[in-house]
Amino acid sequence: MRTARASSGLALRALDAVTLTAVEAALRSRTAERVVDRLVASPLTERAVSRALAGPLVEAVGREVVHSAVIERLADTALDDEALDALLAGPAVERIVAHTIHSRVMDEAVTQLLESEELWILVDEIARSPAVTEAITQQSIGFADQVADGVRVRSRHADTWLEGAARRALRLKRAGRVPDEPAAGPSPQ
Amino acid sequence: MSYAADQPPTSATRRRAQVVAARVHTPAPAAVRPQYQGLVTRGIALALDAALINLVAVTVGVAVALILSALGLRNDFDPIAAEGGGAAYVLWSIGYFTMFWSSTGQTPGNRLMEIRVVKADDGGVLSARRALLRFAALVLAALPLFAGFLPILVNDRRRGLHDALAGTVVVDAPRAAEAAVVTPPAARQ
Repeated sequence: MRTARASSGLALRALDAVTLTAVEAALRSRTAERVVDRLVASPLTERAVSRALAGPLVEAVGREVVHSAVIERLADTALDDEALDALLAGPAVERIVAHTIHSRVMDEAVTQLLESEELWILVDEIARSPAVTEAITQQSIGFADQVADGVRVRSRHADTWLEGAARRALRLKRAGRVPDEPAAGPSPQ
Repeated sequence: MSYAADQPPTSATRRRAQVVAARVHTPAPAAVRPQYQGLVTRGIALALDAALINLVAVTVGVAVALILSALGLRNDFDPIAAEGGGAAYVLWSIGYFTMFWSSTGQTPGNRLMEIRVVKADDGGVLSARRALLRFAALVLAALPLFAGFLPILVNDRRRGLHDALAGTVVVDAPRAAEAAVVTPPAARQ
């Protein structure tokens, strides 16, 4: 009895091995490749895919993708890979980004962002931050200094011009500016 | 060989030696010739001072008028208030110019235009008495349609009537030069 069981198990394993070998040989064959090509190109496949996408399969796939954390796993794998850096540095990503920026999606995103209250709360917070207020103050002081410098320079030019005009009108010679210098003492500054 | 020469120099000794060396080898600064300031620059400075004086006077006047009206005393005290206000305005103007000229030689308007009123003979700061005299002379010069200021246009040291009467000149006082004078070289290192 035991011998019969052993011999039948052996026969099953041998059959299994033979079947697998036959399937592998069939998959490697050119005929199988041609069959697949025809299947993919046939309208039957197209209809099957259309029906599958129209049915509940997409939702089921989506649920499974979320359930199995497929995106996280893919992201982890991709972020560890140097290929991601190469991909990001490539012109394809540049084109995608440029296309996205010029698309209507971007306009709508910006419009929604501007309409959101959170954005203005954020802007308000940034505007009131010490770094920003200090920068604005510095800029204002710098601007006031620039204006004052400009006024000073122009007023001195105007002094010279006005005196020249007055001297010409009175037919006076342009005398040396400092005939009676203050005596040595504390600096006038 | 003395004992002191055998000892290694301490940091204090070395510092003193450096100070002495710097004093010996640094050439004495050339006497800075003051630049006398003309009519336009001084006119702008005076206008700024007048604006400031009037701003303070108006603010105080309005505050006093509000207090008086709140106390219900305004009608009864109108003549007194007017005379008192006038006197306070004159005193405020005199005090403003006298105090600034006799302390730093610069009113706020002068400071903005980077000019300074100094004694004509030694370039020193005005005494309170001289500052008071200059203010009186300034009023005198302004009375005949500002004709007292016209000598500034033709005088070699750009002195008006009030400068001649009070023995003063108006020179430039750049803030950068002031900072260099105020901050000793040792502190800047």
